Amino acid sequence: MSTTDPIVSKPLHVTVNGIEQPVEDIPEQLMMLDYLNEYRNLTGTRFGCGIGVCRACTVIVDHEDGRSEEIRTCITGAHYFEGKSIRTVEGHATRDENGDVAKLSEVQQQFLDHFSFQCSYCAPGFVNAATVLVERLQREPVPRSQLEATISDALESHLCRCTGYVRYFRAVRAAVLATPGTTVEG
Amino acid sequence: MAGYRQTLAALVLAVSTGTGWAASQATAKQIERGQYLARAADCAACHTAEGGTPYAGGRAIETPFGKVYGTNITPDDEYGIGNYSADDFYHVLTQGELPDGTQLYPAMPYTSYHDIAREDSDAMYAYFMSLDGVHVPSPQTDLAWPYSMRWTLNFWNWMYAPDDDAGQRRAADNQRGRYLVDTLGHCGQCHTPRGRLGALKRDRHLQGAVIAGWQAPSLEAEALAARGWDDASLREFMREGRSRQGSMYSEMYPVFHHSTRYLDEDDLKAMSRYLLGENPPAAAHVAQTTAVDDSPGRQLYLNSCAGCHGADGEGAPHVASAMTSNTALRLDSPRNLVKIIHDGIDARAFTGYERVQAMPGFGDALSDPEIAKLATYLRRRWGGQQSVVEADDVAELTGASD
Ligand code: FES
Ligand code: FES
Repeated sequence: MSTTDPIVSKPLHVTVNGIEQPVEDIPEQLMMLDYLNEYRNLTGTRFGCGIGVCRACTVIVDHEDGRSEEIRTCITGAHYFEGKSIRTVEGHATRDENGDVAKLSEVQQQFLDHFSFQCSYCAPGFVNAATVLVERLQREPVPRSQLEATISDALESHLCRCTGYVRYFRAVRAAVLATPGTTVEG
Repeated sequence: MAGYRQTLAALVLAVSTGTGWAASQATAKQIERGQYLARAADCAACHTAEGGTPYAGGRAIETPFGKVYGTNITPDDEYGIGNYSADDFYHVLTQGELPDGTQLYPAMPYTSYHDIAREDSDAMYAYFMSLDGVHVPSPQTDLAWPYSMRWTLNFWNWMYAPDDDAGQRRAADNQRGRYLVDTLGHCGQCHTPRGRLGALKRDRHLQGAVIAGWQAPSLEAEALAARGWDDASLREFMREGRSRQGSMYSEMYPVFHHSTRYLDEDDLKAMSRYLLGENPPAAAHVAQTTAVDDSPGRQLYLNSCAGCHGADGEGAPHVASAMTSNTALRLDSPRNLVKIIHDGIDARAFTGYERVQAMPGFGDALSDPEIAKLATYLRRRWGGQQSVVEADDVAELTGASD
């Protein structure tokens, strides 16, 4: 027998892409993905499997100590992010005063230059994961010889139905190598 | 006439020398039966490394005294059992002693296998001998002194090995169930508590124990029923690896994967009947409530668990176990629940096309006090367990504090 709990809403305080979001009453059981898509109209974060497997819905949580972390928003409630600051795929590019994209991030540009994606459904997750990886390597560089293994480790759980991953892989390696301080000799 | 033939066959077995014995001397039927029995005895769980060649050894078995490795039991002359006679095989299986007199570590459950019937041993022997020999050495064991000295095991055996009459005294009405559960299945090796020196406490048969950090729950009829098990669900659990009570994980997953999924329905029935008894107690039902719940664990559950397990604990078919009927929530000890929340569970394949993705561990995302609150909520909400799980319990059970 299953019983249904009444839906209760409460205020949510969250910062998305550097902007404190208007405080609204949000159902306590709403998933973060739905909050972004439906309440904030940030539709770049994608619903793929809804069960934490494909990682199309990945966003970045920025911790106060400077660490960044991937989180799957399809299986994480909006209220998990209470008081937290996150980045979505909409937040990577530099924008001009009209809000239009002026310059893509290194990771985004490399994905384009390498023709990494086709339908792009998985791309938001890859952009966020690759960005988290580059930022981690800036804090904790790895020997150049371990870079390939490090990239595989960091990205292998992300699924893409269209591509063979090779171009994602090459793009991420290029993005890492184009970012100073991410690798050391060896 | 048939009896005469069997005797003759047994004689042929007895006079054949170990090295000369070949699969050709066993009938296809005997080999097939041997494979079934080897599965029922779950030999692969220890003698096959993860992803390794079947029965070529290599799985590490953690014991309280150190690491023991499952050995190569393919018929390789040098590294396997290629030189064993059927007599040798039977002796090793049921006495835990190699042909050269070396005592096996009791991680090999020969105290359970002690009652394996000779003809079953011969069928298993025929099966193993029919495999290709794999020419790889078994890894060396790594035990702390004095357990590294095998002679101490003679002492151990002398103290703990069951007497030869044990099989005779078994309940007469369901010999098969008991044979499958106690002898071949060696369920008691994990589910029966052990004394300080590692021997099973035979007076507390299948009453549950802590092994390798996990709770191997009690398999007594009353305890099973209290956690919601009945005959149909027990059989389903063994056959499919999952049921509404949850799924096989941790140390039980290999048992399902290598063993219980291959058992035929009659044997599953015999096991279930042996565990639950002739008149099974009614499976307990835990009352569910719908009152507004503002306990601190509720929001933690909605934040981190409900995405897959459902806001109302209903689970998702083919994806995530329901909480409403979950057996782990009904255990007296929060041990398994806390460890699962903290460490997660690997992705697993079940019968047919059933698969579940990995459950993430929340050891990094949630603090010990948060895990404690979440576990308390889950146990109260759906497990009927009212006790409060403390942050210290979490630290102790997960071997870490934060
Ligand atoms: S949609 Fe979240 S992991 Fe697939
Ligand atoms: S580009 Fe289509 S799923 Fe990855």
